[in-house]
Amino acid sequence: MHLEAPQQILLLLIILFPLGGAIINGLLGRYMAKGLVTLVGVGSVAVSFALAVASFVELYGLRHDAESATLAYHFYEWFSLKLPGGTVVPINVQFVMDSLSGVMTLVVTGVGGLIHLYSIGYMGEDEGYPRFMSFLNLFMASMLILVLGSSMPVMFVGWEGVGLCSYLLIGFWYENRDYAAAGRKAFVANRIGDFGVLIGMFILVGVAGSFEFADINAAAAGGQFRPDFPILMFGVAPSLATVACIFLFLGCTGKSAQIPLYVWLPDAMAGPTPVSALIHAATMVTAGVYLCCRLSPLFITSDVAMSIIAVTGTLTALLAASIAVVQREMKKILAYSTVSQLGFMFAAVGVGFFAAGFFHVFTHAFFKACLFLGAGSVMHAVHAHGDADIFKLGGLKKQLPITRWTFLASCLAIAGFPLTSGFFSKDEILLGAAAQAYRGDDMLMTSVGWFTLIGLTLAAVMTAFYMFRLYFLTFTGEYRSADQSGDHPYDAHPHESPPSMTVPLVILGLGALGVGFLGLPHVVPIIGTHLTDYSWWGHWMEASVAGRPVPEEMHVVNLASGLALAAMAIGISAAWLLYRNKSTDALTDKMPARLYQLAFDKWRVDELYAATIVNPIKQVATAAGHADMTFVDALMTKWPSFKVRETGRILARLQTGVVQMYGVVMVVGLVAVLAWFWTPHSRIEAAFEGTQVELTTPQGLGYEYRWDANSDGEFDTQWERAPGTTFEYGRADIRGVAAFLTSVDSGIEQRIDVTEEWMRLPIESVVPAELRQPGDPGLQVRLDGHDLLFRQPHAQKGSSGDREIRLPLGKDGLLGPARVSARPLVEATVEVRNAFGNTRRDRKEIALPFAPEAPSHALLTPRAREVVR
Amino acid sequence: MGIGTYLALASVLFGIGAAGFLARRNMLIQLMSIELMLNSVNVVLLAFNRAYPGNHDGQVFAFFVIAVAAAEAAVGLAILIAYYRIKKTLDTDDATLLKY
Amino acid sequence: MTGPGATLFVVTSIFAMAGALMTISSRRPLRAAIGLLVHIISLAGMFLTLNAHLLAALQLLVYAGAIVVLFVFVIMLIGPAAEVGPIQGRVASRTLGIALTITVVLAVSTSVAYFDAPWVAVPDDFGTVEGLGMAIYRQALVPFEVISITLLVAIIGAITIARSRTE
Repeated sequence: MHLEAPQQILLLLIILFPLGGAIINGLLGRYMAKGLVTLVGVGSVAVSFALAVASFVELYGLRHDAESATLAYHFYEWFSLKLPGGTVVPINVQFVMDSLSGVMTLVVTGVGGLIHLYSIGYMGEDEGYPRFMSFLNLFMASMLILVLGSSMPVMFVGWEGVGLCSYLLIGFWYENRDYAAAGRKAFVANRIGDFGVLIGMFILVGVAGSFEFADINAAAAGGQFRPDFPILMFGVAPSLATVACIFLFLGCTGKSAQIPLYVWLPDAMAGPTPVSALIHAATMVTAGVYLCCRLSPLFITSDVAMSIIAVTGTLTALLAASIAVVQREMKKILAYSTVSQLGFMFAAVGVGFFAAGFFHVFTHAFFKACLFLGAGSVMHAVHAHGDADIFKLGGLKKQLPITRWTFLASCLAIAGFPLTSGFFSKDEILLGAAAQAYRGDDMLMTSVGWFTLIGLTLAAVMTAFYMFRLYFLTFTGEYRSADQSGDHPYDAHPHESPPSMTVPLVILGLGALGVGFLGLPHVVPIIGTHLTDYSWWGHWMEASVAGRPVPEEMHVVNLASGLALAAMAIGISAAWLLYRNKSTDALTDKMPARLYQLAFDKWRVDELYAATIVNPIKQVATAAGHADMTFVDALMTKWPSFKVRETGRILARLQTGVVQMYGVVMVVGLVAVLAWFWTPHSRIEAAFEGTQVELTTPQGLGYEYRWDANSDGEFDTQWERAPGTTFEYGRADIRGVAAFLTSVDSGIEQRIDVTEEWMRLPIESVVPAELRQPGDPGLQVRLDGHDLLFRQPHAQKGSSGDREIRLPLGKDGLLGPARVSARPLVEATVEVRNAFGNTRRDRKEIALPFAPEAPSHALLTPRAREVVR
Repeated sequence: MGIGTYLALASVLFGIGAAGFLARRNMLIQLMSIELMLNSVNVVLLAFNRAYPGNHDGQVFAFFVIAVAAAEAAVGLAILIAYYRIKKTLDTDDATLLKY
Repeated sequence: MTGPGATLFVVTSIFAMAGALMTISSRRPLRAAIGLLVHIISLAGMFLTLNAHLLAALQLLVYAGAIVVLFVFVIMLIGPAAEVGPIQGRVASRTLGIALTITVVLAVSTSVAYFDAPWVAVPDDFGTVEGLGMAIYRQALVPFEVISITLLVAIIGAITIARSRTE
């Protein structure tokens, strides 16, 4: 279905430019100069960004026209699906930009473009640079397909595409086995989630009859998802919406690293830092949140699903934050921080504040990308491999000023320092949780609301704490250059990164500080001013995202803001006291050793998965392998080949190597051939032409024929080379009469040998039983001279005696569904002689389809035929 | 005493040659049996040409058969000598290199 | 067929068969060669009954005069080893071979014996040197030249194969 919206081909071009860049760099990159690779790779994204801006401007201009302003572009119809029930669902490759995807596109292309720029400096020396650029571009194209797709299958193409690119980019330095394993882990975890998305997709199309988001959302709003799912789950009957949302959320946990499928994201730090920044901070991991926002009208109808999402998000936020608190490596801390922040976003979605969750996606893109790029800058400066241990750094604020200030800005943002972007977005989330807690819908919603509020507050405390722990240990104090030990000592004299790396840092840092003002809260806490008209973000998102109403009661607003500020203050001050200008980890002293170790080991979740899921599967695989080897290989392949070889060995004994024996075999063959051809072969066929019968027999090499047409012992022809002759039979040649029954419908013919005695006519031999009349006693027939007599033995309606019908020779009669004919029988004989001089006589009985009139037969040779004519 | 008699005789001679080839172990005798068979073919060709003397085709063919038989006998005996030099025997039952 | 022709035919056919039988059944190769010689000479005589004069002469020249001589030379060259022991082994294959051969011969000969063609008169130069020579040089010139090359090739081949390796 084509959306009624202005067609804008720019939407397609936004995707095609990075895709083209990926193809060019991928196929030809290794032959191109590095500058050209850069131009293609970065330039395509830059063009894409420009086009995205242009489209967004146009979209912005439309916002007053319709209720939901969108731009669309229909590319082509991919295929169509036939549902049981008859509906045909077309799957169109169609792109749509509304307020939600417009913002997301700008984020993806903008932040993505900056990261491409950063990669010039960071990955420029790597010999896989063209491949890197190609994969990055491919990721951009896939992410844009995901965001701009107007239906679930198209979005799913992008979904899978980003999963693939994530695998390719995490395992970019594939020669290292651990990095390659990390890539695989990411892909497998994603794949498990994709199963959930697929099931959800199928439920959606089953209920809504369409894959388009617009149709699904309309169906959800119209209540089509309210009926119960036809299978009881855990003793309750959930609604269709609940089941679909749970499955879709499973996909989100895979893609956006929530419990239980988050385990791939920390390992994904094996990839180059720009990859971590782009994929695992700004864009790919937010795809799950994007999906939830896209289908917000659907999600909002299911309280159960929303509660599950909120609880999962909160638990994830807490779990990841607790792990981040004790980690020692920069990128690891940032990775767990990402998981935790994603938990915040899903918690927001779970309490119905979709726009707030998406706002956090927006702000998180800026400050997290800045944090990751900053970490990359630090690692580049100290020549660290893989990751940087913060306990080996310190005091870098002197050597890396730009990096330090942008990093600080982003830390303030993530902690929620007032007036930074993170402050506004985190505030909204906590407000949503508080709103649900106070709304008083029912037990479930209220308790989930309180749980979310308390849990997110705790997570916010930990967030502020570990981020500033990271900042202080890296940038304050003295550089612990004397403390280097191990394989890769850090550079003693780190220096600031080149402009290609610092410019993106600055831009992102400024964004981290400033973009929050796009989403001012509706009500200022404590003061109470209503800023509703100025909270641009909420109004903008209304057009495409559903949501619960924002509370205006002051006690709710004040509680949320107060908790947020308190969390930030506690976290930052704790970190200040413990880590500013310090060089050791105070936590090791303050926490119980067992607890510290557990948290450091990521709560042993990976080990749990390995023991319960991975190892059993491996054991099944090993067993299957053994079964294959012993059963399939032995029985199906070795045994037949053994038998064949044995047969061959037996047959090979024929090869004695003595030529004379071969000669004997040749003679044997010769004798066999001779025996076959010793006597000639014949087969008589009769063809009827009017009253003339043409008798033929197959022609043979060197054969001679003579015919006795009526088998009276006298041969009518001489020995001739021609295999056929024509006769006209006479009445004297008739040797008998046979009755032939033919079914009128099917043409089955059956010959009945009639005698002078009455016999029952077996009509059932040509007529199937169901066509016969019940109670029909059957006809009787006998031969009378050359004619057939029929009678019906007991006529039903008491008519006078038995009626007899006479069928003369050569005529046809109709008996209900069968035709009966009386045909005369003649016998023809042929004698064949071959070149060896051996003869053979063959005879055949022929039933003539007519009654011969001439008294006796006549041979009609070609010459004679002319005379007769 | 028609042409048929010649044909029958030729087939008998051919049979004698074939039997000799299949039954004897001596390679020389086998080559001689081959010559017998070739000669029988010549008889057939000449007999037919006599029956249809319109052209000389049969006799020309027989002429070439003789020539080819000569060439074949020469090369065959050369091979026999070479074989004898290696194997020191003319017993074909020992010539089993082609045996599986 | 006229009388002398018939007599010649009978005599030569008897000698032909006898020679053939001697060839295939002698233990000693020299005896077999002599049998072959007898066979060939009698066939040469038979060719005369078929009006194939040139071919009869060629039969004597080439077959009797060259091929049989070649056989005899080889027998002399090989010496005592030319005589192989008595027939032994491969009884089944030999019996089968001979039995089938006899069967085939009987079948064929009884069939073809009835071939009936009139003993027509032949042109004057039929089978003579001029007649056959003309036919060869006119209709079969190319095969004639090719056959001479074939013979050359055979000579070269025979020399190459049979040459002593002691040099």
